[in-house]
Amino acid sequence: MFPRPIDRSGFATQLGYQIIVPIALLIWLLPLIAIFMTSIRPAADINSGNVFGIPSRIALIENYIAVFTQSEALRYLTNSFLITIPTVIISVGLACLGGYALAIYRFKVALPLFFLFVAGNFVPYQILMVPVRDMSVQSGLYDTIQGQVLFHGAFQTGFCTLFMRNFIKALPFDLIESARIEGVKEWKIFWYVVLPLVRPAIAALSVLIFTFVWNDFFWANVLTQGESVKPITAGVRALNGQFVNNWHLVSAASLMAAMPPVAMFFLMQKHFIAGLTLGAVK
Amino acid sequence: MAVTDNAKIVTQASWLSRNKLTIAPWLFLLPALVYFAIYVVIPIFESIWLSFYEWNGLYLADGTSTASWVGFQNYIKLWDDPKFWMSLKNNVLWLLLFMLAVPAGLFIALFLNQKTPGMRLYKSLFFFPFVISQVVVGLIFGWFYNPDFGVVGSIWKALYCEETVNLLGNVTFRCSQTPPDILSSAEFATYGIIAAGLWPQIAYCMILYLTGLNNVAADQIEAGRLDGAKGWKMLWYIVLPQLRPATFIAVVVTVIGALRSFDMIAIMTQGGPYGSTNVLAYYMYETAISEYGERYGYGSAIATVLFIIMLFYISYFLWRMYQDEKGGR
Repeated sequence: MFPRPIDRSGFATQLGYQIIVPIALLIWLLPLIAIFMTSIRPAADINSGNVFGIPSRIALIENYIAVFTQSEALRYLTNSFLITIPTVIISVGLACLGGYALAIYRFKVALPLFFLFVAGNFVPYQILMVPVRDMSVQSGLYDTIQGQVLFHGAFQTGFCTLFMRNFIKALPFDLIESARIEGVKEWKIFWYVVLPLVRPAIAALSVLIFTFVWNDFFWANVLTQGESVKPITAGVRALNGQFVNNWHLVSAASLMAAMPPVAMFFLMQKHFIAGLTLGAVK
Repeated sequence: MAVTDNAKIVTQASWLSRNKLTIAPWLFLLPALVYFAIYVVIPIFESIWLSFYEWNGLYLADGTSTASWVGFQNYIKLWDDPKFWMSLKNNVLWLLLFMLAVPAGLFIALFLNQKTPGMRLYKSLFFFPFVISQVVVGLIFGWFYNPDFGVVGSIWKALYCEETVNLLGNVTFRCSQTPPDILSSAEFATYGIIAAGLWPQIAYCMILYLTGLNNVAADQIEAGRLDGAKGWKMLWYIVLPQLRPATFIAVVVTVIGALRSFDMIAIMTQGGPYGSTNVLAYYMYETAISEYGERYGYGSAIATVLFIIMLFYISYFLWRMYQDEKGGR
């Protein structure tokens, strides 16, 4: 282990480390703590300039209720879920199929096709913007939830396929070979042999894609116009304009936008980190 | 009759089963491939094609587009466009400064790579900024930098200002120097945004390194210790070489993050003041969909330039992957 494990050193060093880590964390998360502290302040504090001191009283519930009643926040949050969840299902589902094909079968174009998915996953969004927007307008998908789902689903399929292919490639190939010799049909091998084995990958991808799509801001701007289909990221910006200088409300809304991915990360931490590193390092 | 039918069935079945391993992959692959092609692969070529046109995005009544061919005109205009060069310069700045995330992430990872109780929780709390939407990060930092009531403003007041209470009991501040308005200054705004962008990026690099450190061979470290390697020497000669895969990925995601920077600029400055914080990604968006009508052709030309820059990194990444594949099964 590097650096040298701290429990092998003297008591003073150990104690020092135990003290320094929380302080470092506090500084590291200072922006977040500040925004949380602001979100529980009453409006009077903000107006009187008490932005960093101790809140005169805790207005947590009051502020969060105000965000919901005075704005479209609930609508935005619902939209975010309506966009994110179907996207996860589509892209992870397609990637299971595609990744299986690219990992298990040896055919000439398997590697080029795999690289196509990898490359597509890295392109700047702007190179897709005009055609995708035009296509959405033409097909009536502009300014709809479905339009956003369809685009995100396709784009994330690239990353998911990259991930799945590598994951399946690392499975013991003998399992599939012996199933084939037994005469098991190809789709049954997929369904009964491979799919149960890739469950961890499915979990990891689901959390990652959820976070990626939830946090999207660019496409929300390109593919929507009205308030009724905007996700929370674009919504928070709109709220920022609406609640000018009402920092307690802006903070509360921002934290609400940040909450679902954070909760997701905490619940599925192991999968999340495995996903980030496996998708990347493999 | 019956005999030929049977023979047919036999040949059909055998054709299918003979070619089972040729057909099956395509059936599995086709949905993802077609879908990905429609939304990602084909639009890339369409954008490049469109960059040779002038188009406001409108169609005639009979459904034909109003685009008109202008050849390399958009690129010539781009060459003479000071806003384009400003954006490109800022992209370079982003790329260079964003690279700080890699050593900073390594530093935090080394700092946190211990097994004392509660360490797991600390590690995940350190990772937090990456999970949060960049829109929120942008808002937080925008507020941080606010000269009137942000953190920067408050620190400034503590250092340079005197608090006075006037006759009516209102608190006013008299400052020997006016607090800096980072995001309104053409000189510093970009640095302010990059600093905000570094926050989540450092967290990302940190997690990559923490996982990498987990896989560092313990026996090599011990062997190094026996040979008297310590501190920096140990890090440089024994640990870093083993972290090479993590470093590679950290650099790749940081480059992509730098070139994709859009959200924070849109939230914090919208490219201003006077275009001084523009980057290609934002300038493209601003040009293509602006209040003054849509300029799809010119926008596509900007996007194509950005794409070509990215293509270098993509090619390098694919080349590395190809080397790995050749080595594998």
